Amino acid sequence: MDYSMLLEPGILAQVLSQGLVRGSMYALMASGLSLIFGIMGVKNFAHGELFMLGTYVMFFALAVLGLPFPLGILLAAVVLFFVGMGIERTLIETLRKRAGRDWLLDAFVLTIGMMVVLQNLAQIVFGSDRRGVTGLIEGTFVSGSIVISYERIMIVCVAALVGVLLWAFLAFTNFGKAIRATSQDPDAAQTLGIDIARIYTLTFGIGAALAGLAGALLISIYPAYPTVGFQPVIKSIACVILGGLGYVPGAIVAALLLGVIEAYSVFFMASGWQNVLTAGLVVLILIFRPAGLFNSAKVERA
Amino acid sequence: MTATTASSVPASQQSRVTPMRVAKVVVLLALLIGIPPLVDSPFITRVFISALMLGTIAAIYDLMIGYAGLINFGYAGFLAVGAYGSALASFHYGISPWAGLLIGGVLTGAVGFVAGIITLRLKGLYVALMTFFTGEAIRYTISNTPDFTRGMQGLSTAPFTDILGLDFARENLLNYYFLLLVLAGIIMGLLAWLVNSRIGLAFKALREDQLATQSLGLNTTKYKLYNFTIASFLAGIMGAYYAHYIGILSPTRHEFGVPRTVEILTITYVGGRGSLWGALFAGFLLIGFQEYFRGLGPWRLVLFGSLLIFVMLFARRGLAGLKKYVW
Repeated sequence: MDYSMLLEPGILAQVLSQGLVRGSMYALMASGLSLIFGIMGVKNFAHGELFMLGTYVMFFALAVLGLPFPLGILLAAVVLFFVGMGIERTLIETLRKRAGRDWLLDAFVLTIGMMVVLQNLAQIVFGSDRRGVTGLIEGTFVSGSIVISYERIMIVCVAALVGVLLWAFLAFTNFGKAIRATSQDPDAAQTLGIDIARIYTLTFGIGAALAGLAGALLISIYPAYPTVGFQPVIKSIACVILGGLGYVPGAIVAALLLGVIEAYSVFFMASGWQNVLTAGLVVLILIFRPAGLFNSAKVERA
Repeated sequence: MTATTASSVPASQQSRVTPMRVAKVVVLLALLIGIPPLVDSPFITRVFISALMLGTIAAIYDLMIGYAGLINFGYAGFLAVGAYGSALASFHYGISPWAGLLIGGVLTGAVGFVAGIITLRLKGLYVALMTFFTGEAIRYTISNTPDFTRGMQGLSTAPFTDILGLDFARENLLNYYFLLLVLAGIIMGLLAWLVNSRIGLAFKALREDQLATQSLGLNTTKYKLYNFTIASFLAGIMGAYYAHYIGILSPTRHEFGVPRTVEILTITYVGGRGSLWGALFAGFLLIGFQEYFRGLGPWRLVLFGSLLIFVMLFARRGLAGLKKYVW
């Protein structure tokens, strides 16, 4: 194969935009996962199912209720925010209160149970048909040999906007400050009058909202079906590890990188090997830099 | 916190041998050995094979999670190494499935050893993540090398060859069941001996308090590595048995991916972490239930998942928590 074609601006732009779209999705998923992990220590394996619920909300908002797509995206984020808070309040908080010292490993297993239940409930309620909505925005951006659809540009822009909003929320609002304080030292935060249980609920809600938003945003690429969340969750877990567990900016950078690497890897290997590539990358990182690529924090070693 | 400690230390350790208990064991064994040949229905025999096989696999899982606190979330991928190791050895090189049992065990043990060396320096969740990606990498590698493994087309496996005058053609399900009984007996015996040995005490110590264990001068990483390697070796044997019993292997999610790992994990948790024998009872309960309600389709998995959540939240000792009433 002639690799010089990779340098043509048209193809370069095509692959890069595709990679960034993937990367945006991974980033939205991974920042939610990383936020939840950083603050609660919970690794939410059911995150892909929250993504899946987001795709269904989007589908019904657009195809059944006939809402315009920005409202659909907003609706998915809001619905998932409440679903996330509900899950935290009922299941995770109960576990935290009952399990004591080693509750995190149990919480991981609990989210596995949630994954199985949500996935199969979706199967029962919606069936296994793929319900997609295509063409949120028509048209393409053309400049010389560079052709990029407006939809891809929209996806990347919305993801970037959400990223900035999330950062501003964490940096400047009181809730954001309370969240960061809790992640640094829960006990000290509690002494200062921060309601930890409320922070945990809110954090889980935000993480879920980000997953729902990702699902809604990518409806034209990932149609709604019960197991749609599996690949996104695996990849975003990979990004969380690559970026350093619980370190949100690292996860976002890793997500964009992984998206682009995957888009390019199509040129070099059969598509089935991409998953091996991702898994291999993660394993290598865990061996040589368990704290992640961009994190100087120390990992608790056994 | 006291609740955790109490729930994770089953009272079985100082189990005394009373005539009542001996009688109960004899009755259970008699049921296990007697029912399939007496009922003589292929369906019942298959259910017994599935239940005993997954129960034993879950008991091996319990050695890792219940006795040393290690979550192997790529466990199904490890089983795939044993299954494919043995199946490919007989498919390509004509090696007898009987030797394949050992080959599957050794290969999986080696994978467990290497994965263990890499992972076990790290703490809890990292082990889960690392093993998860290892398992997925194994599964994708199998599906991406169809020239050697036949990938998603499926690899048909040889039945066990006749031995001691026993005919292991696939329609002789009962012989497969008795072979499994022998394997499960050996493995369960080994596990029971192991967890009550000095090494088993070390496992329990490091599960309860790693730091304290280290300060007593035990090399915790070494013991975790023992645990992981032994469990992988035994899982590989079961994987190889599965391969030659089931007849065809394919690297699908449901066979060697997350759903299978979740199934095993649920059996272990429902049986009761750190109870070893609980996994066998849970195997019969859950697989029996699953077979009985075959028509339920996806509801089956909803019930499995809900059961897992329920056990996590409200019945943390699983079936082993019922022990004081019946044993």
